[in-house]
Amino acid sequence: MLQLIADGFVIGSVIALGAIGVTLVYSILRFANFAHGELLTWGAYLAWTALLGFAAVWGPMEPLGPFSFGWTLLASLGVAAIATAALALLVDLLLFRQLRRHGSAITLIMASFGAALVLRNLLQFIFGAVPEYYSREIQVAIRLVPRDVLGGLRITPDQVFVLGLTAVSVVGLHLFLTRTTLGKAMRATSINPQLARVTGIDVDRVIRATWVIGAVLAAVAGVFSGLTVQLRPQLGLDLLLPLFAAAILGGIGSVYGAVAGGLIVGLAESLSVPIVGAEYRAATAFIVLIAILLVRPTGLFGERP
Amino acid sequence: MTALRVETLEAGYEPGLPIVRGASLSVESNEIVAVLGPNGAGKSTLIKAIAGLVPISAGRVLLHDREITGRAAHRLPHEGLGYVPQTENVFVNLSIDDNLDLAASILKVPKKRRLGELYALFPDLARQRRLLAGRLSGGQRQMLAVARALVGEPKVLMLDEPSAGLSPKLVGIVFEKLVEVRATGVTIVLVEQNVKAALAIADRAAVLVEGSTRVVGTARELANDPQVAALYLGHHRGDT
Amino acid sequence: MPDLLGLLSYGTFFLVFVTIYGLVVLGLNLQWGFTGLFNVGVAGFVAIGAYTSALLTAPDYPDQIGGLGLPIPLGWLGAMVTSGLAAFIVGVAALRLRHDYLAITTFGIAVTLQLVALNAQGLTGGPFGLQFIPKPFAGVIVDNLAWNLAYLAMAITLLGLSYVALERLVRSPWGRVLRAIREDETAAESLGKRAFRFRLQAFVIGCMLMGLGGALYAHFVGYIAPEDFLPILTFQLWTMLIVGGSGNNRGAILGTVVVWALWTLSGNVLRELVPAEHQARAATLQVVLIGLLLMLILLVRPRGLLGEEAVVSRHMKDPAGEVQEE
Repeated sequence: MLQLIADGFVIGSVIALGAIGVTLVYSILRFANFAHGELLTWGAYLAWTALLGFAAVWGPMEPLGPFSFGWTLLASLGVAAIATAALALLVDLLLFRQLRRHGSAITLIMASFGAALVLRNLLQFIFGAVPEYYSREIQVAIRLVPRDVLGGLRITPDQVFVLGLTAVSVVGLHLFLTRTTLGKAMRATSINPQLARVTGIDVDRVIRATWVIGAVLAAVAGVFSGLTVQLRPQLGLDLLLPLFAAAILGGIGSVYGAVAGGLIVGLAESLSVPIVGAEYRAATAFIVLIAILLVRPTGLFGERP
Repeated sequence: MTALRVETLEAGYEPGLPIVRGASLSVESNEIVAVLGPNGAGKSTLIKAIAGLVPISAGRVLLHDREITGRAAHRLPHEGLGYVPQTENVFVNLSIDDNLDLAASILKVPKKRRLGELYALFPDLARQRRLLAGRLSGGQRQMLAVARALVGEPKVLMLDEPSAGLSPKLVGIVFEKLVEVRATGVTIVLVEQNVKAALAIADRAAVLVEGSTRVVGTARELANDPQVAALYLGHHRGDT
Repeated sequence: MPDLLGLLSYGTFFLVFVTIYGLVVLGLNLQWGFTGLFNVGVAGFVAIGAYTSALLTAPDYPDQIGGLGLPIPLGWLGAMVTSGLAAFIVGVAALRLRHDYLAITTFGIAVTLQLVALNAQGLTGGPFGLQFIPKPFAGVIVDNLAWNLAYLAMAITLLGLSYVALERLVRSPWGRVLRAIREDETAAESLGKRAFRFRLQAFVIGCMLMGLGGALYAHFVGYIAPEDFLPILTFQLWTMLIVGGSGNNRGAILGTVVVWALWTLSGNVLRELVPAEHQARAATLQVVLIGLLLMLILLVRPRGLLGEEAVVSRHMKDPAGEVQEE
């Protein structure tokens, strides 16, 4: 039981970071971005590429303390975050920006659906379909709770790292949104874009910031997923439904809701495994989604339906 | 000194279909000028075009002799032009304080001093600064909208139908406040349906018909001009 | 003249697929083109139809539920009923809300159905899928080409009937209300509960056509597997509709022909040019190309090849107060 809850929090961290991006794009650009999952995949693979690059220069990665990875993975994470942000800005420039000028929100969703397929297949073309790993080091899991208490709890150092960095990212985002002018401008734009403009906010800049933040968090989530599971071209596609479920559960547009929603969906997935089997864990997100739509479509923290 | 000058402006939402067709207007510093005219004459479109929200196809706009024609809407508050939209003119999910604080951060004005000045000008807002703007009554919401537009210390403040949806008594209060605002050295341009209220506080007025300025004169001249009254101000029927 | 026969055989095969997809795209057009409903789970609704009909009509499967051996028309009817039922459930949950919610929910049901198809071995046969799906009039027509032609004739008849029925529907008062709801949110809101009911009806009817398309596919190919109903199928069908011109039933069918021709052609070219060991990888490029086509159409010619038809007479005004014409 304890173990399932801990596992749920780890997968929930990945979902939460991804769901923040979904909810930010939704509240600022006003469409459900089906390509967001691919930003996770690209982030994960870009980090892997950077890791190979570092290995070619400095030799194989030396594990850092108890972790399965070394400092080069952290550096690769930084490279991937920047590159994923650039990718998101590029897609926006070539596709979404053009459609924003005269398209409706629904054309944007459709375009994002197309962009998702293109990005995924392009990635598969470049990297192939075989699963990859950042590190093949075996980690010693730390036993936190003995086996005879609620089934016990073991956690790997990598999982602790994931939980810790997620918490840091969320706090950092909170400070950004509440303390900086750009963060406030983002909130204002999500409430009323037209009024934001006449108040002096450069909405184009806000949109760029939204993509950068969403993409950076997506890259982090993608690397976490690659670190705790494995790298696959379907990594983002498989996470997309949980991301949406988390964003809607939290109340679409609410950053803190997305975090809470991500953790809840992660927990639900993890706890459902003994009941429905691991093969159906993704369906849990769908059940959560349908339930929230029927019971409280505004989500836990949402203000608008 | 001319605060705002509009020269034969053409503007509209779709190319080739201008709604504003050759409107000209000259507003002197510290004046209150009302833009009047029948429904659908293009009053709102004119003010929105000046504010950068509607594409301009011909003509010029000058703010204190600097050309601002076609400048992006978000640049104008930084240049000294304030604009109060007719509807949805406050951030409803933010408190009064946050509405003003946001504008101060964006426009990079010293927050403490400017908000203090504005709260002195709008004591009603000062009393409930933590209240969400969405909870405000119509009149107070309009006050907040004006205060928000004033945060950047604009030289010219434009208002789109500030009387819309308000009771006659509230219209009086809001318009009196505009006179106070003018006393702080701000030039005011307001687009109005409510001719009587507008002419009561305006120095001069322009009448816009079918997208172009037809009559310009002092408020008194226009108020007493039977021809103008008959043609454009209230007795005109069947226009949309 | 073996070549000519080969060509005829290939052409028949091609056209059967076009006809089946055309049926599905007509359903999609009712949802998106006429009602503005964005369904991202088309493959899921097609799959429901295919699996339902297979389970109802196939001979008894060992170790599995289903295989009832019912007559084929009953299987097709069943396909429409189950896909309509799934649409009803999704619609009730999502159609009252903003359109994004429908997109997300339909995406969710397609993902979930894919999981069921892969894992519920006792029902769907798991990754191997279902085989021995009976072929109609296989006992009467033995020759392969003749059978294909017969199936094509039948599929075209069904497509034609659906086309005529849909054309009448969208020109009826019912269809005009649908477009009014699509065009004008305020009009839709003023209709309130009724708007929801209209949307639900259009959504269910559209998904029933998708289910029928799935059944036709299953009985033509003879076996189905989860990989036949991946998101790429949804994407292909959407591209067909957008390329042809949504809101126009003739455009929907034209788009189906064009996109399916491009798809098979590009597939053949890649097969010819790329050595066998790299073909799986090259296939991903095919998706990239179709994806770029869709985006290009969205950017350059958002109305598609034919564009929306003027279905309302010139003298009739739509609720927005403007004469609706192309």
